[in-house]
Amino acid sequence: MSAHAENLTHDDAHGHESHGALSENNFLGLPNIKLAMWAFLGSECMFFGSLIGTYFFYHGNSLGGPLPKDVFSIGITSISTFLLLMSSLTMALAVDAMKQQKPLTARTFILITAALGACFVGFQVVEFHEFYTEKHLVFAGANASLFGSTFYTMTGFHGTHVTVGVIWLLIMSVLITKKKLVPGKEAVNVEVMGLYWHFVDIVWIVIFTFVYLLEFLK
Amino acid sequence: MSHGHAVETNGAHGGPALPHSHRKQYIILGVVLSLVTFIELGIPLVKGVPELWTAAKEVWAPLLIVLSIFKFGAVVGDFMHLRSDLTLYKILFISPLFLAMFSFFAIGSLSVVHYAPFGKGYAITAQDLADGYVPPTVGGGADAPWADDKFEAAFVDAQKAGFAKGKETFAASCVSCHRADGGGMPGLGVNLTDDCYKHGGKVAALYTTIAKGVSGTAMPAWQSSMDSEKLRQVAYYVHSLKGMNVAGGKACEGAKE
Repeated sequence: MSAHAENLTHDDAHGHESHGALSENNFLGLPNIKLAMWAFLGSECMFFGSLIGTYFFYHGNSLGGPLPKDVFSIGITSISTFLLLMSSLTMALAVDAMKQQKPLTARTFILITAALGACFVGFQVVEFHEFYTEKHLVFAGANASLFGSTFYTMTGFHGTHVTVGVIWLLIMSVLITKKKLVPGKEAVNVEVMGLYWHFVDIVWIVIFTFVYLLEFLK
Repeated sequence: MSHGHAVETNGAHGGPALPHSHRKQYIILGVVLSLVTFIELGIPLVKGVPELWTAAKEVWAPLLIVLSIFKFGAVVGDFMHLRSDLTLYKILFISPLFLAMFSFFAIGSLSVVHYAPFGKGYAITAQDLADGYVPPTVGGGADAPWADDKFEAAFVDAQKAGFAKGKETFAASCVSCHRADGGGMPGLGVNLTDDCYKHGGKVAALYTTIAKGVSGTAMPAWQSSMDSEKLRQVAYYVHSLKGMNVAGGKACEGAKE
């Protein structure tokens, strides 16, 4: 058993090298993965910018179906907004703990973040289900409205991003448990995951204010 | 816990000194962001207090936007620590952000010019109406590079057909209260040919009014006898009457649009 464990440790060492490739510095002296993430997030700005823009482009022009005011409930959205905001805090704390060479503390915060993110997705599933079955807000087909199509596309893509983030967080927590991800040079992997997660949070800050809250002011 | 401790020690490479922990600042920022969110949630509730709402009517929406920009900036600047990070990262993130905002407004201005059939800036003349068709001004008009598209032609044909049907339905169901030319009748239907609307003049709002009716008036909920296709055609037709100001029409009721 101990020989096996030694083998694992040996493999670990190799594993670290292959992991290191991503966190390795490029010719600019910067970690590749971090540079790539910022570039990716820049493109994500364009992506969500057009989805939100399309929503407002068609806003108020649906020919049928329920209107935003008929379907939005501020209660459930507030709770999920708050959960996502708090998950940003725990994510920042996880990154901080990793930099402080405390992988287990980091893992705890990562798992809390994943749980909060999963709750957010859960609330969205409940919300979509309620909109579709009770409020008859349809995404596509003969009974679809512009509001339905643009709303589901926009928030659906955001929910997908949160889901991908949750999966990423869970994978990271497993890697930390298996010591495949250790503090030091590889802390940047957790930091980059944090960048992605915070970005998903800021997209929701925009959607929550512009799509939900401003609707209630009209 | 001792196992955990071992891992933590293993993890330490013992190289350079640990970076300064930001834990405290993060927690303070988390509390501040929560408070801001509570304030945001409180703003729609102000509507329930009419005196307060009207006292600063123009303030509430911009306040919401300012608060969300603050939250956005705080998360990007501090949680993602872009504020103290490299200029290269700032350029990579902030320039597409501005590009996104630019395209947002570009799309917004396009919608007024080119997407007329969905209710913005769409107006046809009295002569067009008398002829019973919609001129092919949709999608950018005759000068648009795609004006001869088959799609465009099919779109206009479909619109003409729907428009004619909307006119038929109007003649069958609406004229008894709104008059044959849409000018309205005293004590019954409102004038549909001015630019005043009690429940909104956009096609979507007209659709809802026609479908659900207006309680307390003679306007019935037509959704019980018309399907959504028919309702939509009538809504388009009624929308086309806007601004014709037929002779002898009823005076303005509701808000000018």
